[in-house]
Amino acid sequence: MSVMQNNSEKAKWYLPGILGGMGITMKHLVKNLLNRKKMMTLNYPEEKYEYSPRFKGNHVLTVKKDGSLRCTACMLCATNCPAECIKITAAEHNDPHVEKYPISYEIDILRCVFCGYCEEACPVDAIRLGPEWQTPAVNGGNFIYDINHLAYRPNLKGGIQTHVDDEERNKSGI
Amino acid sequence: MKVTINGKEIEVKEGTSIIEAMQQSGDRIAHYCWHPGLSVAGVCRLCMVEIEGNPRVQIACNTMCTEGMKVNNTSEKVRDAVKWGLDFHLINHPLDCPICDQAGECGLQDQYMEYGKYDPEMAEAKVKKHKVVDLGPTVVLDSERCILCSRCVRFTEEVSKTNELGIFNRGDRSEIGTHEGVELNNKYSMNTVDICPVGALTSKDFRFRQRVWYLKDAETVCNGCSTGCSVKTYYNKEGFFRVKPVYNEQVNGYWMCDEGRDLYKFVNKDARILKATVRVNGVQTEMTAGAAAKAANEVLKSASADSLALVLTAQYTVEEFDAIVSTFVNEFKSKKIYFWINNKENFDSFDGLLLRGDKNPNTKGLLKVLEKHGITATWNDLSSGLSSGAVKTVVVAGPENQVVFPDFADRVREISKAQNVIWMQAGKNEALSGLTGNVWIIPTKSYVEKDGTFINHAGLEQKFKKVTTVVSEALTLTEAALLLAGKNLVMPTPTPFMPTNQRSDQVTLEARKKNEFVFRRGSL
Repeated sequence: MSVMQNNSEKAKWYLPGILGGMGITMKHLVKNLLNRKKMMTLNYPEEKYEYSPRFKGNHVLTVKKDGSLRCTACMLCATNCPAECIKITAAEHNDPHVEKYPISYEIDILRCVFCGYCEEACPVDAIRLGPEWQTPAVNGGNFIYDINHLAYRPNLKGGIQTHVDDEERNKSGI
Repeated sequence: MKVTINGKEIEVKEGTSIIEAMQQSGDRIAHYCWHPGLSVAGVCRLCMVEIEGNPRVQIACNTMCTEGMKVNNTSEKVRDAVKWGLDFHLINHPLDCPICDQAGECGLQDQYMEYGKYDPEMAEAKVKKHKVVDLGPTVVLDSERCILCSRCVRFTEEVSKTNELGIFNRGDRSEIGTHEGVELNNKYSMNTVDICPVGALTSKDFRFRQRVWYLKDAETVCNGCSTGCSVKTYYNKEGFFRVKPVYNEQVNGYWMCDEGRDLYKFVNKDARILKATVRVNGVQTEMTAGAAAKAANEVLKSASADSLALVLTAQYTVEEFDAIVSTFVNEFKSKKIYFWINNKENFDSFDGLLLRGDKNPNTKGLLKVLEKHGITATWNDLSSGLSSGAVKTVVVAGPENQVVFPDFADRVREISKAQNVIWMQAGKNEALSGLTGNVWIIPTKSYVEKDGTFINHAGLEQKFKKVTTVVSEALTLTEAALLLAGKNLVMPTPTPFMPTNQRSDQVTLEARKKNEFVFRRGSL
């Protein structure tokens, strides 16, 4: 690396630039002091920014109307996941209309890159990326999300429903 | 006879159907109901071809080749026929691919990707049929997915000759099912799962355990009985999941039995001995297999040739038998080598298709090796030697497939009369804890973890290659024979980071350069 020196005439006129910058700063200072409600900053963590509902945050497993999991354990999300952070174990369901369901669905959230491929791969709208985005924890925290967390964590209020139920789908012959 | 297929001229035999000629020429053609091992049914109507001079498209499976015939299956007319035929197949087919076990190896899926009519024109609702129908102990039917190709029905008629299955009802209400009071329960029932071109018949054993695209496959020889069917094993890093037959004209044709399909179970890690156990003078220690074999060498070295015996089961490869028998004959000068026969009385039984009473894959191979070394000892010699105390040290190469050794516990009890027992085996067994005296239990590799040769009942030598490693520490009998004789294993010299075609004067690095960042990373 070499050091460049600008020895031109123009370079000596630095004061107007600095004063201009200071002027903008002072303008915001005065504006914020007089009208605190219109301030652009947030007092995190007391105040939190709400992203749009399309924001790709933490995963949610959707549920059917009866509250059971929508996922059929087809493994398409796990196959499509570039970070290989999804692990599913499938099992046979007692109900012949359901047939197959996951007995464990785990996402290693530390590996996840929130690319949303799982959401796109899912043929039954069982996994979505929700609006939650701040889930910090220290080393001892649980960074492997299981079914219980993904589908039934408290702020989902009993689970997020999908549009079409299995039974409706069956009846209308889809 | 000369036939032109898609512009290529090929030579076929008299009486060849067009579909067979296409397989011969390597052209792709869709077919669900046609199976080379079954009769021709001609019900799926998907192997459509256009024959020059014939105004209509024909099915290739039931049309015989004639001299100078010009056939193609790439024209617009054929594509259109296949497209509509496929649409017809899919009218009542459920959108089950996420649940279906066949997803990933389904003919209907593949065909739809190629010829799919992506905008269906059916206004009618689908006909719903039965979903999870329990056909028998091994197979589950989903009649919605079934495309009525009748392969399974023809299989039970023509191959297993048990006639359990049939097609019932008419039109779009037709369904596969079993006759009243009968269940699909024969020794070859899982072949119906293999030949089902869609996921209508699924195996209870494999059901939902893995998606097929997570599995790797490799060919090997089944070690379930002396037939020695060619099979493909499917596995990944979690273990083995299923076994399927591979076409072998000389041995098994297209089929294999249900017993053979269970044989991946004793290979998996949870059924295996992982570490060697050594108990000398009441002190039990765990060590690696190689170390245990070396420790056992101390005893074998000091034992006299008369007090030394070797017991072999016919479940190892010819190469292994040769190695261990020649070690005994040449190094230890002992010819007390005994063949542990599990159930002699039904060795010759045969069910007419594949299953043989001799449940060892390599009885012929063992007999051949014993004969080569001039060994004539019988089990009675061993029994009397053990009771009189003349035989003090016994080396045993135990069975891999322990299910077919009903006398296992009795033989363990008999052999434990000896002072020193060196027991080499792949699978765990409770009875082995009953061994008294000084015991070396050494894990060996199973049949999918080594190269070798099995000689089947007809004397056919079948070579097979290693599939994968399950227990890396385990020894093959060849390695064990070397270690027991006090020699060292000859390892192939590894040249991991060098191309094989390197210059003779090329400088080689001492060791691989380490990535400092990875190796010196602190806690986060």
